[in-house]
Amino acid sequence: MRNKNHIERHYTKWGYIFIIPFVVVFLIFNFWPLASTFYYAFCYLKHAGNTNPEFLPSIGKPLFKNFTEVFKAKSFYSALQNTFLFFLASTIPEWILAFWLAVMMTDRRMHIKARFIWKLAFFFPKLMSGGILGVSITSTIVGFVANAAGLSAAAMSMNGFGLTEKDMEFVLSVKFIIIVASILLHFGITFIYAVAGITGIPVETFEAAEIDGANRLQTFFKITLPSMRPMLFFITVVSVVDGLGMYDIPSLFGAYDTTRSNLTLMMYMNNQAFQGSYAYDKASAVSLVMLAIYIVAALIVYFLLLRDKDEAKFKKAIRQERRELKRGI
Amino acid sequence: MSTNEVSLTAEKKKTIGLKIVTYIVSVLLALMVLLPFISMIREIFGDEVVILPTASGNFTVVTKPRETMMTWKEFTQLFNKPTWTAFGNLVLVTVTSTILNIYFSAITAYAITAYEWKLREAFEKFIIVTMMIPGTVASIGFVQMCYKFHLANNLVMLIIPAIATPMTVFFMRMYLKATFSKEVVESARIDGAGEFRIFNQIMLPLMKPAIATQTIFCFVASWSNSWVPSIILIDDKVKTLNVLNYTSATYVRGAELLMCIPPVLVYLFLSKHIVEGVALGSVKA
Repeated sequence: MRNKNHIERHYTKWGYIFIIPFVVVFLIFNFWPLASTFYYAFCYLKHAGNTNPEFLPSIGKPLFKNFTEVFKAKSFYSALQNTFLFFLASTIPEWILAFWLAVMMTDRRMHIKARFIWKLAFFFPKLMSGGILGVSITSTIVGFVANAAGLSAAAMSMNGFGLTEKDMEFVLSVKFIIIVASILLHFGITFIYAVAGITGIPVETFEAAEIDGANRLQTFFKITLPSMRPMLFFITVVSVVDGLGMYDIPSLFGAYDTTRSNLTLMMYMNNQAFQGSYAYDKASAVSLVMLAIYIVAALIVYFLLLRDKDEAKFKKAIRQERRELKRGI
Repeated sequence: MSTNEVSLTAEKKKTIGLKIVTYIVSVLLALMVLLPFISMIREIFGDEVVILPTASGNFTVVTKPRETMMTWKEFTQLFNKPTWTAFGNLVLVTVTSTILNIYFSAITAYAITAYEWKLREAFEKFIIVTMMIPGTVASIGFVQMCYKFHLANNLVMLIIPAIATPMTVFFMRMYLKATFSKEVVESARIDGAGEFRIFNQIMLPLMKPAIATQTIFCFVASWSNSWVPSIILIDDKVKTLNVLNYTSATYVRGAELLMCIPPVLVYLFLSKHIVEGVALGSVKA
């Protein structure tokens, strides 16, 4: 036994060796920028290309000046509101659609044909959404959605359902178009990961459920979702990161919209830092607010999805036992 | 007996109904997604679509006809030297950063799975925490770092950070958790293989499905990443294709078609391995 332990220990050093590149690059390119962002939030750092931060108390200004400026700005609140609106309103329908389609496509009883083509088609917008093309294809998607919405609005008003243009205003608003476009753009990712998660579940599990007489809804909620929990966690994280950091689509509608109906937190940060005012300090403060939001979201997601309650209980029990053993000795 | 038969046919009818609904929804979605692409091609050669904000906070979509439709000759002239340089830069950045990302994420995930070192669980938790905090939060610090050390205009700043991508590490770790078997590693050790060799020659081929999936997503993400590059790349010589248009006077419309070819090729090449093979989360040790 001791010999085997010795051999194991001989190899464990490779664990440390293999993570060196990751840790080094992480410290330099992720941790250091984050730490300096933290510092800049309490500094004076304005004008383009300025790399000389001055700590606020040292130039006789209150420590939280940048934060108070941010929290005073009305546009910050509309950015906050819009970010959450876009995130929730696009994620929920997208998830329902993606999971429903993923379940239907992988159902053994249905034999959906040409899965390859569907996958390619759904993933297509994301595949194309680089740079110039992203602008072009997103604006054409937006144009398409707007045209469709306009047509249906016109049809409604002509038919005389008692609907006027005013009732349809929301459908034609910037917000609605952004939501629909982001659903269309992001839908493919969720779909592909969901299919990957479902196909990873052994077929026998579904067969057993079928024999026991479970219907499709029961199978989905009681078997499919719990069995793909790590994948579900991954999908949620991708959605949260992409949704709260939404930038590409809203920024198509102009950076300085008067009603701020398209302003998101990312756009607000970008406007502060790299356009016009070059207020790196204020932008750092906004970054920290975003960081706080991400951390709260991460905690919620972690405790809802990834933490295994039984495992945690088990570990706690082991720890207690060990403590009692020690006390006994 | 008869009731059994009745319920069976009812079930079958329901399945067929669901099947039809699925096909209809898929076709509609695919049309909705593909129609804009067709209209984009039409836009390059024909009308121009412009979004104009109006005073009331809404917007109008205007289709302006170009003065003349673009001819094939004009179209080929668009691919001039700056465009090709930018294209080369983008390919260089994307390919190298994807390879680095995949390789080092795989090796990090392997280190967590295969070896029982002391800080292993803490490190895994650390990965989970950091994957939920995107790098965009620290972009001010990153850009300031580039300015300070005169590394703006340097493509290396876009390539090296790809080594540390917690999201990919987590995905690889999930995959290894479900498929890793210690016996393979131990038998290779008995045969006298070094640890690096075990990883490169045995583990990497075994992780093919996860690698294929993540390669597609990393490639697309890096290919379409234009926010940070547009800030730190100022010189025209190092600009990548996706930031070229933001600032240059000659707006290159035809280059859009250049942009779409590589991601589609990568997807078509790798999609066979993606999805179907990824057995995640089902097996829990």
